[in-house]
Amino acid sequence: MVNDYLPLTDTIAPAAAADVAEAVRDAAGRPTPVYPIGGGTAMSYGRRPAEPGLGLSTAALNRIIDHAADDMTITLEAGVTVAQLAEQLAGRRQRLPIDVPLSSRATIGGVVATNTSGPRRFAHGTLRDYVIGIRAVDGEGNAFGGGGRVVKNAAGYDLCKMLIGSLGTLGIVTQVTLMVRPVPETTALVACDVPELAAAERLLAALIHTKTLPVAVELLAGPDRGTGGVLAPIREPNIARLIVGFEGAVDEVDWMIGQVCKEWEEEGIGAPIVVPGDAAGAVWDRLTEAPADVQVHVRPGAAVETIERLLAFDPGCSIHARAGDGVIRATFSPQAPLTASSCGELRSVATPLGGTLVVLSPPEGVELSAGDIWGPPGGGSVVMRALKERFDPQGILNRGRYVFG
Amino acid sequence: MPHMPLVRALRAHLGTENVVSAPSELAVYDCDAMTIERRPPDVVVFPRSAKHVAGAVEICREHDVPIVPRGAGTSLAGGCVPVGGGVVVMLTRMNRILEISLRDRMAVVEAGAKNLQLTQRLAGTGYHFAPDPSSQMASTIGGNVATNAGGPHTLKYGVTVNHVLGLETVLSDGSIVQLGPVENPAEPDLIGLLVGGEGTLGIVTKVWVRLTPNPQDYRTMRAVFNSIDDACRAVSRIIAAGIIPAAMELMDHAIMTALEEAFHFGFPMDAGAILVIELDGPPVGLDAQRDRIVRFCHDCGAREVLHAASPQERELLWKCRKSAAGALGRLAPCYLTQDGVVPRTQLPEIIHRIIEIGRRRRVRLVNVAHAGDGNVHPVMLFDPRDPDEIKRAMAAGREILETCIDCGGSITAEHGIGIEKIEMMDRLFGPNDLKAMRRVRESFDPTGRFNPGKVLPDKVAGTLRVPSACSGGGERGSRAGEQENRGAGEQE
Repeated sequence: MVNDYLPLTDTIAPAAAADVAEAVRDAAGRPTPVYPIGGGTAMSYGRRPAEPGLGLSTAALNRIIDHAADDMTITLEAGVTVAQLAEQLAGRRQRLPIDVPLSSRATIGGVVATNTSGPRRFAHGTLRDYVIGIRAVDGEGNAFGGGGRVVKNAAGYDLCKMLIGSLGTLGIVTQVTLMVRPVPETTALVACDVPELAAAERLLAALIHTKTLPVAVELLAGPDRGTGGVLAPIREPNIARLIVGFEGAVDEVDWMIGQVCKEWEEEGIGAPIVVPGDAAGAVWDRLTEAPADVQVHVRPGAAVETIERLLAFDPGCSIHARAGDGVIRATFSPQAPLTASSCGELRSVATPLGGTLVVLSPPEGVELSAGDIWGPPGGGSVVMRALKERFDPQGILNRGRYVFG
Repeated sequence: MPHMPLVRALRAHLGTENVVSAPSELAVYDCDAMTIERRPPDVVVFPRSAKHVAGAVEICREHDVPIVPRGAGTSLAGGCVPVGGGVVVMLTRMNRILEISLRDRMAVVEAGAKNLQLTQRLAGTGYHFAPDPSSQMASTIGGNVATNAGGPHTLKYGVTVNHVLGLETVLSDGSIVQLGPVENPAEPDLIGLLVGGEGTLGIVTKVWVRLTPNPQDYRTMRAVFNSIDDACRAVSRIIAAGIIPAAMELMDHAIMTALEEAFHFGFPMDAGAILVIELDGPPVGLDAQRDRIVRFCHDCGAREVLHAASPQERELLWKCRKSAAGALGRLAPCYLTQDGVVPRTQLPEIIHRIIEIGRRRRVRLVNVAHAGDGNVHPVMLFDPRDPDEIKRAMAAGREILETCIDCGGSITAEHGIGIEKIEMMDRLFGPNDLKAMRRVRESFDPTGRFNPGKVLPDKVAGTLRVPSACSGGGERGSRAGEQENRGAGEQE
């Protein structure tokens, strides 16, 4: 599967950070590209590289180094899978509250490199809020790191932040230290269907003043193309579904369910669907796993307008939005498939409100440029290039995959 | 006037009223809240816009002088002391709150807007800006960004970086760039580098901050312990049980004494330490959590746990905690606040060792701590007229930070490195780690002109004047003495 995406001449699986450093040093000497490989769950994210190079698998970097459970931190190697991490933490009723698809294969290194997030980001944030220490290898084979093992740290520049989401192009992550959180007693979801997007916007706006504390605010619209039928198909005359998630102590969650139903009633919503306790797990999973073609980021208040624009562009488009965060994930219909030429048009449709659009997964056989996938350079492009020149002067780390080309 | 061409250029760009160059007025900007390291700037400018800042940066480049951004000057590690001279950019006149968008849970402010000003503007909206450093009455949002400021409630809500969505910043080439506020996966998290960058990477002119819903209810309590050890054990016990309160603050006997004299709050004067613990959230879950915390406190030997019965009592309790720094003036004419952090289970150990260090080095010190985060603020008291006392206080501070490193911690949790801790960076980080940080700095500022002599243990580059105070090596105490001998009048 990995080989389908990457032009690998050879693949190695070093068992220590020092071996990663040596392999990269060696590659830098030739020079030849190095493609870091985690669980292979996000291979379609980013441009498909053309130049043959060395596959560097983190599969053997799979140790949990120190679960300081009473400190609520954990230090682990990059190749540990998210499921393995979750299992370790669950033993002490702790968790990393980041939703990750395909968690039995996805590695923590890959999750950091791609800055994966899911529905619960509304309350719990993203990886930048949890990675407190990091070790990585730069494009010359130097092992470096930043942060530490404390939950608050202002010493030096925060290299964790720089490495999160940069797709391994500024350094191959070998180890991270995470701040973790207690597992809530229970969880629940409350959902309602609306006949028009304006009604969804009214509910979202009303949620600004809710007395409850949602951990997720999701909005689904259009035909279901990947969410696996969250709850049930949306039936006419309704066209969209708002789902709000709660977590906490049992009495707390019970109270919040009752409260949000009351608040929605004032907005004219009859009988919301309530998914309590045990049943909620499967729904969370579907909300987490749903794939998409593109991801749009806008101000939360512009989410519904963006969805309207996307639906005007492709009425058959399937929308899964983390509406509370202004993150809109869209999958296009066969009538409006994503192509090199449609990317630009789509971007102008989806991002006039100061947003961004990235392609998560181009359809089979569609060749997209870096510009198609990532969009125009942002305000930080000069600094980014300067960072790249210094951390990977020969451009061997994940060459061709990210914005650096 | 040796800087006349520079001053003229700045006046032409910013207007005469926004440029200060009289030596008598410059002395105000020669230090921050860490008063033992001083150096006045050559010029101070008060920009009104990002364009003003950008122009000032260009002028500084033309005249080859350093440029140091400054907010309210409440920082505690010397971060805004212009050690290499040059131009201080005061952002306090760029203090507008530009937009509050509850729908987006976001506010847009100029860098010089005060933390408290935003808090007040948000009153009645149901939202607030979460970072609440003790300096919040005076400190600016831009300053909070530069130091990645924390505060008591960061235990639950996170530090400044967790609440910054976007930045407008002036880079060393004079360009004005905007990062965020909307996430861009096609860009590494440069915002995360700039926050906590202590003004060495760019001059932040505008900030998009996340707004947090106000808690519906609180349970605020004060647990009294016979010994500070017991209090620390209670903190570790609560965290280990998976309870993360909104805040968990430790105050020792000495600080209680000072506060009692100042505010007559009714602290038990024979107690060893108190914890101020706050829970927040919807009322329904709070009592059960509170009961567990009370039980843990009693298990660890708490003598009593009192509850704030009204919002007024809660306010007073927080006022007390936040006035701790102010009350210190009653104990000594001068003090030095340290900012160490250790893994949370190490809290009893570090407090124990801090007390031992103070005893051995004959330094009077008091302890306050954001205990839930493992963030200790030992305060060394001294008389600035006694050079030996200063020296001992400095040495104790340094040993405490070394001990934090030995306990698996770090030398600053929320104050920043500034100049104060710069010599300890290579004790905390390896050569490759520092090299990586140097690369970050060069990527943002190849000229080395932004706030030179801070954060990284490097000599100030090029033609810039390097005062003895930041050239590395030796005991800081003697330097403070040197500084005094040199006198305020000396300038280049």
